[in-house]
Amino acid sequence: MLVFITLFVASTIMAGFVSAAGISIDAGLTPAENRWIFRSQMRFMQRNNDPTPALREMKSYMLPVVVAYGIRSDLAIMIRQALRRNEIKMQGQSSSSTGLIDILVLAKYRLVRLNTPGYTLGISPTLGLEIPSGADNFSSNSWDLHLGTFVSGRSRSWGIDLNVTYVWNGMAKTSSADGDAGDEFSIESALAYQFGLGQNANFALAPVIEFSYLSISSDSKDGITITNTGESVLLLSPGIKVTLSSIILESLLQFPLWQNQLGQQTERAPSFLIGIRIMN
Amino acid sequence: MKITSKLLLTGLVPAVFLIYLTACAATKPDIDKLVSEGNEIRIYEIFGMDCPGCHGGLENLVNKVPGVISSEANWEKQLLRVVLYANVEVDDNLIYEAIKRANFTPGERFK
Repeated sequence: MLVFITLFVASTIMAGFVSAAGISIDAGLTPAENRWIFRSQMRFMQRNNDPTPALREMKSYMLPVVVAYGIRSDLAIMIRQALRRNEIKMQGQSSSSTGLIDILVLAKYRLVRLNTPGYTLGISPTLGLEIPSGADNFSSNSWDLHLGTFVSGRSRSWGIDLNVTYVWNGMAKTSSADGDAGDEFSIESALAYQFGLGQNANFALAPVIEFSYLSISSDSKDGITITNTGESVLLLSPGIKVTLSSIILESLLQFPLWQNQLGQQTERAPSFLIGIRIMN
Repeated sequence: MKITSKLLLTGLVPAVFLIYLTACAATKPDIDKLVSEGNEIRIYEIFGMDCPGCHGGLENLVNKVPGVISSEANWEKQLLRVVLYANVEVDDNLIYEAIKRANFTPGERFK
């Protein structure tokens, strides 16, 4: 019974861990050499509609902080750390926990950059490693590999992006007692239209619409699939991006258009994020 | 490491970066004033800029070219204005190299 409850609660928490990143505009374009970029967001996510009598609900707040640096014009490195708070209700009982999640170190390489008078095209593969450094209940307790390819196309006003990522969770476990979290596959596409404003074009406003598909495999332990884990989600995310010469403000609402949870799990509810990027 | 130390690090490191980057952004000279003081001005066509956020990375690299006082990019017009000391010879290739290191492509030099 204790094992069942532990897995039940763990699956509730872990299911909320994974979310589409949101605002993927310009991901295929590497920053200038020697450029620092500081990025932070406040994300709010929630899950409800529990099909079981436990009537689980979860609210989750996340504050990721990313520092990126252009080592060379064709290579950038990023480090992400995030603070997370989960609030869980189950059978009328409430509990909450706060902690740091695992640190992610990611390298982005400029494979293609085509600058023409009419358009710009960038293709950048990424390679990342998630280090098991997070707090108890917030760490995957494994070294996880992140692979991705980001494509960005720009005309003067229009922007289109396509990002494909695969996360190999549990590449190397730190404890044999833990199960293997399911791998994650995501495709994110974004379309933006930018209005240039202000003197010397130092201000731009861009409505953004994103479509994200996220598929998370079931967790397993000793080769046996853990029930009530794994899901697929299609998200529609309208948002807005405000760009000044050194600051970018962004905000996005994420609506699940379609979702399929394996077994008996809570469903994703609309989520929200607001973010800032500061560049030197 | 205790969770409080981790939390402090998470807050402190970004705060220092934030102050540093905001200070960098706030210290931009008036380029029109520099031109009126008799310095040389050059105007380059630039391809690849797609938003005001592109300006800073380009200007930072061009400003480091010896002889350059300041520069100002305009993504909509696809132009870069560079102000140089009047009595210093600056090779265009050094400026083109800086433009490429910012991930952009130089076009014609208009002035």
